Amino acid sequence: MSLTVPTTREDHRIAWLTALAITIHIAEAALPSPLPGIKPGLANVVTIVALLEYGWTTAAWVALLRVLIGSLLMGTFLSPTFLLSLSGALASIAALRIATWLPGRGFGPVGYSLLAALAHMAAQFFTAYWVFIPHAGLFHLLPVLMTAALLFGIVSGLIAQLALHGLRSPEARLP
Amino acid sequence: MMTRADWIAVLLAIALLPGLYVRYWGDSSQAEAVRIAANGQQDITIPLSGNRRFTVHGPLGESVIEIRDGRVRFISSPCRGQQCVHSGWLAHAGDLAACLPNGIMVTVTGRDRRFDSINF
Repeated sequence: MSLTVPTTREDHRIAWLTALAITIHIAEAALPSPLPGIKPGLANVVTIVALLEYGWTTAAWVALLRVLIGSLLMGTFLSPTFLLSLSGALASIAALRIATWLPGRGFGPVGYSLLAALAHMAAQFFTAYWVFIPHAGLFHLLPVLMTAALLFGIVSGLIAQLALHGLRSPEARLP
Repeated sequence: MMTRADWIAVLLAIALLPGLYVRYWGDSSQAEAVRIAANGQQDITIPLSGNRRFTVHGPLGESVIEIRDGRVRFISSPCRGQQCVHSGWLAHAGDLAACLPNGIMVTVTGRDRRFDSINF
């Protein structure tokens, strides 16, 4: 007896995007970081592109699957790192959801990326504070972490903007 | 391709960021409240806002404590040495004055103490 799960085109698309995001995530993990918790977060470019091209649901799937599978591949599944990543991912997709409610032309890739990055960092910080290091001294790190989030959020947003520009040009072919 | 909302978000974020530095890298030994511990009684914590005086009852008698301009001090106490009164104004977090004969200790609390420990 065989069990088949019928897959839709959306499933394939999400899988394709997630694979891309995981690849970027793992490649980026090879780069050294100046402080624990600060990294460029380039895999989020995929999340933002997915958000703007295919909608929030696809982006949310990509983000969460990337955290899950990335942690399995890196060997950090269910570790403190995983908990922090997950809290950041949940907060950032919640922030993106709320941001999509903005009427009118709304946000572009830079705005979404910035908001997601700030939400991600804030959620990670407070998870670290409440769960792992409930010491007031941790707050001395917060301004530095949020500065990094702001910077890398904007950079990721600009990269996503460039990517979307290329994807939407006439010679591009989307999955 | 940056929309107006993008610009507002970026500028707002950049504008609010220094606030984080001021709050968390700024003077963290700022006095916020005073904790009064009296022998046999419950500790009470009073914010340092406003100006007032009040009395605390101890075994020797009444000590009068004043809060003014974000600082606190013993005004009078029924002890002989009067070290508590001579401690003067307590202005920073961690500052402490105590009337040992009367069993009353006044500490200023804030986010961080100015010194982790002081030995005489």
